[in-house]
Amino acid sequence: MPEGFLEQVINGLVMGSIYVLVALGLVLIYGVLHVLNFAHGVLFTVGAYVSYFLLMRVTGSYALAVVLSMAVLAVIGIALEHAVFRPLRGNLRNQVIASLGLILAIESTVVWIWGPNALQMKIPATQSIVALGELHFNVHLLIVIAVTLGVVAALSLFLKFTKVGTAIRATSQSAEAALVVGIPVERVHRFTFALSTALAALGGALLGPLFLVFPTMGNEPLVKGLAGIILGGMGSVPGAVIGGLVIGVAEALSTLYFPTDYRNSVAFMLIVIVLLARPQGLFGVRVRGED
Amino acid sequence: MSRLIAMAHGFWFVTLILTALALVAGGANAQQRVTIGIVTAMTGPLAAPGKFQLNGFRLAEEEINQAGGIAAGGTKHLVELKVYDTRGNAAEGASAMQRLASVDNVPVVLGEVLAGAAAAEAPIAQDNGLPFILTVSTAPNLTEQGNPFLFRVNAHNDHLTVALADFVAKQGWGPVAFIAWNNDTGRNGVNGMRKLLGPQKMGYVGYFNTGDVDFSSHVTNIRTSRAQAVMLLMDEEPGSLAIKQIRDAGLKAHLIGTLAMGSDRFLKRLDAAKLDGMVQYNAFPPNVEVPRIKNFAQRYKAKFGEEAHGFAAQSYDGLMVVAAAMKNAGTVNDRKKIRDALASIRHDGVIGAIQFDKTGQANPPVYVTQWCSDGRRRVIHPDSMKADCGAG
Repeated sequence: MPEGFLEQVINGLVMGSIYVLVALGLVLIYGVLHVLNFAHGVLFTVGAYVSYFLLMRVTGSYALAVVLSMAVLAVIGIALEHAVFRPLRGNLRNQVIASLGLILAIESTVVWIWGPNALQMKIPATQSIVALGELHFNVHLLIVIAVTLGVVAALSLFLKFTKVGTAIRATSQSAEAALVVGIPVERVHRFTFALSTALAALGGALLGPLFLVFPTMGNEPLVKGLAGIILGGMGSVPGAVIGGLVIGVAEALSTLYFPTDYRNSVAFMLIVIVLLARPQGLFGVRVRGED
Repeated sequence: MSRLIAMAHGFWFVTLILTALALVAGGANAQQRVTIGIVTAMTGPLAAPGKFQLNGFRLAEEEINQAGGIAAGGTKHLVELKVYDTRGNAAEGASAMQRLASVDNVPVVLGEVLAGAAAAEAPIAQDNGLPFILTVSTAPNLTEQGNPFLFRVNAHNDHLTVALADFVAKQGWGPVAFIAWNNDTGRNGVNGMRKLLGPQKMGYVGYFNTGDVDFSSHVTNIRTSRAQAVMLLMDEEPGSLAIKQIRDAGLKAHLIGTLAMGSDRFLKRLDAAKLDGMVQYNAFPPNVEVPRIKNFAQRYKAKFGEEAHGFAAQSYDGLMVVAAAMKNAGTVNDRKKIRDALASIRHDGVIGAIQFDKTGQANPPVYVTQWCSDGRRRVIHPDSMKADCGAG
């Protein structure tokens, strides 16, 4: 395998991992509440800022800052579900508009608190280099891939083998039926939001040290995460994982053959090609009357 | 008792009226003011260069006002700046320029960081007969649009890269790879270097959009192209990210940068080892032993507590050129007369002599500086100013 190809695959897996974390959050909320939360990108940004604050001002430990930022964002997620999405339940249009409004409100708040300029989040893992033949990688790149794989595995086990996970799956299939068998659907909604925003925080906290922490850093992961769940199939957790990784790797590999300025359009070209062949996405289930 | 209270109220009322009259009378004797428009990026990915630009304007404003203001038409006019944050965005820039021209009714506008925004603002300035002075944007074609109201104080890309290309050719580096802005400045910069170096010296060329932070794909392509040198046509923020990613990936290629990468602030984003040997064009090496440069660098540091930057020096000169033009024109309001005065001005600025050619372009001196292993810089061009580490 040519060296450039291997290096681009690893580059793609890193960004793909970030897209996966965003896509998982989006797909959980979509699956359970049937709404696309467009504010997920800014929550990713808030996660990065909160972890930056906790690392630089409070704990001094990156791992602790990441875990605490996930907890903080989980609380924010519960608050948003309670204050914004629950009152608007049943009205998809208003929920989407509310999530768009949240983008402006949250982004302005971020700028108000931390200022408009990019912040540097220096941690030891970004200063350490690991060699793989002639290729050299920042250790944090490998941490991003490893943490994402761990999260995907843990989430799959959680959804499959725990009571709460089963309740989430049941609610996503039919909220009414879940209610009938005694599942507390409101609590499931709240928990799903918390889990989703915690995953966004994890994504932001992992990406921050690699590059910079800045107010619009969640935009690209949101767009690519959305592309990932469309590619993988709306509502499908395995689809979100594969979709995010495929987009990350495809856009990195595309730069070997096409000018780099076409990189961002690769995700959307892929979506068109896949949806032409499989309108329900790679892992989506075709539902009668939905297309 | 109630009469006493009424008398007391009357006393305070008369005092208030007299005070107001005194303030009005005092105001009549106060100096006049002239409001000058500024368009720059205060937020967004270009906030860093925008800050240097605004600092330059602020220092000039302070010094002009401390000296009593601009003497024009027999009156002294204190300067006030009306600043709009365009975020380097063309639509916001166009809107700000329209507002400055018609609502704020300023006689002159200065600024802009990004060429794309400047290109959108310049025609609006022209339509309103409003002189517009650029102090940072470097795309050569900005002053080639036949706009008689557009002037540029700073050197453009073609001027800046000549000495750099000469240096690169002498080193025998080739092929040279590029990572450049995906805009006029970036593409013109690459084309300019292609002309100067020759196509045979050109390696991988990759463009990135403003706000992009992941350069890993470019780094891989640079590695596979076996480039000996990489030119980074970008600002401070992406520049520091690109260099970190290049060095982290183990690439030993020589680094070539822009003037945004020749400051102590840039060093703080990285470290001396990553920058060692990097060369960049420069419009204002702040530590060089030239009185006008050294003097400005000291004043700048005293006010802002940091090393002076080329963008600040250029912007300082921009406002000083406007003040000189207003003085020569004998007016602070007549846009046409101020434009004509700008067209014929010769001003000794901190960046050097400023005189606009028929396209509105000035031709100040340019330098090439190089990072030393200890985190200081030295001047390597022009030959007459070559200096050792610490004087760049």
